[in-house]
Amino acid sequence: MNREAFLARVREAATSGLRYRVHADPTVTRAMGYSTIEEDLVARFTAEVAKVGGRPVVVPSMEAARREAAQIFRIYEPRSALCWRHPVLDRFGLTDWLRTERVTQIDSALLAPQARAEQRRDMLAADIGITSCTFALAETGSLVMAHEFGNERVASLVPPVYLAIVSREQILADLFDAFDRLGERLAKRDWPSNVTLITGPSKTGDIESKLVVGVHGPGKWHVLVVDETAGEKPAPA
Amino acid sequence: MSTTDFTRQTHHEFLTASSQALVDANLQLSLANVGDTLAKRNREAWETFPQSAPLRELARQIKDATLADLAGHLETLEASVRERGGEVHYAGDGDDACRIVTDILRSRGAKRVVKSKSMTTEEIHLNDALEAAGIEPIETDLGEYIVQLSKQRPSHLVAPALHLRMPEIHQLLSTDAGETLPNTPEDLCAYARTRLRDAFATADAGITGANFAVAETGTIVLISNEGNARLTVTMPKLHIAILGIEKVIPKLADLPIFLKVLARAATGQKLSIYTTLANGPRKPDELEGPDEFHVVLLDNGRTRILEGPLRESLFCIRCGACLNVCPIYRNIGGHAYGGTYSGPIGAVLTPLYDGLTNNRHLPHASSLCGACQAACPVKIAIPEMLIQLRDQLHKEPGEMHWAEAQAYGLWARSMRSPRLYRFLTWLATRTVGRVLPSGWLKKLPGPLHGWTKNRDFPAPARERFRDWWSREGME
Repeated sequence: MNREAFLARVREAATSGLRYRVHADPTVTRAMGYSTIEEDLVARFTAEVAKVGGRPVVVPSMEAARREAAQIFRIYEPRSALCWRHPVLDRFGLTDWLRTERVTQIDSALLAPQARAEQRRDMLAADIGITSCTFALAETGSLVMAHEFGNERVASLVPPVYLAIVSREQILADLFDAFDRLGERLAKRDWPSNVTLITGPSKTGDIESKLVVGVHGPGKWHVLVVDETAGEKPAPA
Repeated sequence: MSTTDFTRQTHHEFLTASSQALVDANLQLSLANVGDTLAKRNREAWETFPQSAPLRELARQIKDATLADLAGHLETLEASVRERGGEVHYAGDGDDACRIVTDILRSRGAKRVVKSKSMTTEEIHLNDALEAAGIEPIETDLGEYIVQLSKQRPSHLVAPALHLRMPEIHQLLSTDAGETLPNTPEDLCAYARTRLRDAFATADAGITGANFAVAETGTIVLISNEGNARLTVTMPKLHIAILGIEKVIPKLADLPIFLKVLARAATGQKLSIYTTLANGPRKPDELEGPDEFHVVLLDNGRTRILEGPLRESLFCIRCGACLNVCPIYRNIGGHAYGGTYSGPIGAVLTPLYDGLTNNRHLPHASSLCGACQAACPVKIAIPEMLIQLRDQLHKEPGEMHWAEAQAYGLWARSMRSPRLYRFLTWLATRTVGRVLPSGWLKKLPGPLHGWTKNRDFPAPARERFRDWWSREGME
């Protein structure tokens, strides 16, 4: 249909419909929908991750994170890992660590020069996906991912096993905070082509409402939270 | 076959279909736990999240304000999509939309498309149009894939295969696989994962609907628990999103308000597993995502609703909560409604899209108990709209049987005249009330028998309340 005729029809209908507008309660505000989190953000975040079927671990240092990651690798024995390039993963020392684990690292540096068919073959064959996140959300146990070159979508989507390495300062309290931060990127015209909020392993209830994990995305969902302030505090009893 | 299959027909007689549904043992088993699972989760979500009350009111206000200047927001959406390298198309009706989509696909030589669950593409029968154009559509949501294999239609907004039981699903997927698959949900999901991975890897295009479209950013928002929507907008070279014009919201900052209530209403989750903001085609350096990004805006009767008293039905965000709590839906399931959209909101939308007289029974397929409105994340006044539709229906020429018109006419007159009312109640208690001991009329005479076909009519009491009152001496 012709664009002008289409929009003219919408405009006319919207105007006629004005007399059927609903009553609005002027006292409600956005702030009333904000979830204030009293407890420690790491504690709340990991509790929510566990609730949605993820497996969270909190570690006090990058060294401890590497030990935990090695434990996870012992379970799945991956041969190749589809990875992000990210400052938190650099601090983790991912490239060197994967080399010592004898696991092939597949990331944008390896993939960029390849032809599309080769890229796809390598992406689809990866045994585990390893990423950090753009932000994490304590309210819901979510990872917010701004996808761009180096931080590919497929890493958290295609392999059957997934590992996120999150640093304490990445955790925000509420969904509104995440959208405020995304809004800042939009204002700076640094708006990615895809943003995804991930809240747990892939799930379906389509067969007799029975929960099955890992239908299209990863079914194993590990989250390592590196809280370097944890060592400074007395250990919980 | 002499009996009609109500799960496949696109249009049918509601009374017949609902009677069939009530005696369909498999369907009844499937529906039995809807109240205990989905409806319960919705109730708990509102009870345990005190912030939901203002959020639902805000979501409602944003929808209302957006509709007030819908054309302006669509223009903003178009400008944002264009700025990011996408294209916007305008479809006046379903045929228009199907033509736009098949033209895009044909001109690129596309042979196979993967689809992520979309009620809007169901509404316009896109899969039929694609097949007619020689393009193979593959549904990738597990429930939709099963429903596609069964050649039926989805029976629930968010759980499309809710009506099917394990043995039927096992049979369908085994036939698809060409071998008998192991008989557990996990194994069947594993089969579908492998089968559909191949589809994602070889598809020429991905087709989605949209849960929301953000005008400010040109974003198509897709929500799923399985991850198929993400794969659909990541693997193929081409992404086409088809959405009704009411899906637009003005600002990025509006989106979290809807996200906070949608998943809670639908499944009791705080957020669904994957909330994807598809913001356009891939950037030049990116390794994934579509090269082309098309948005098809669909009217298909929405402007007709927008200008009228049932405008509020356009607030619907398709969470399915009203279905889960509805005593009618929970007895007859989705197919009996005969339209794309079922349950209470379907009883409003189907007559609006498909004509009131074609769907004359739908506004009556409700007990008006109000559970739908209480469950709705945007608090749509569904019962009031059903009453309005009933009223409109009775004003349609030829809709009312003469006997019904006489009965209501007499009732209306008697309610206006105390003397006539007193006489008629006296007459009723002295006649039917005295001869009928059970208190229920099993069968009304003549053309009134329709009332008693599926229910009893309360018989008049033996004595009028007025007589009892004065006999007891209570002033």
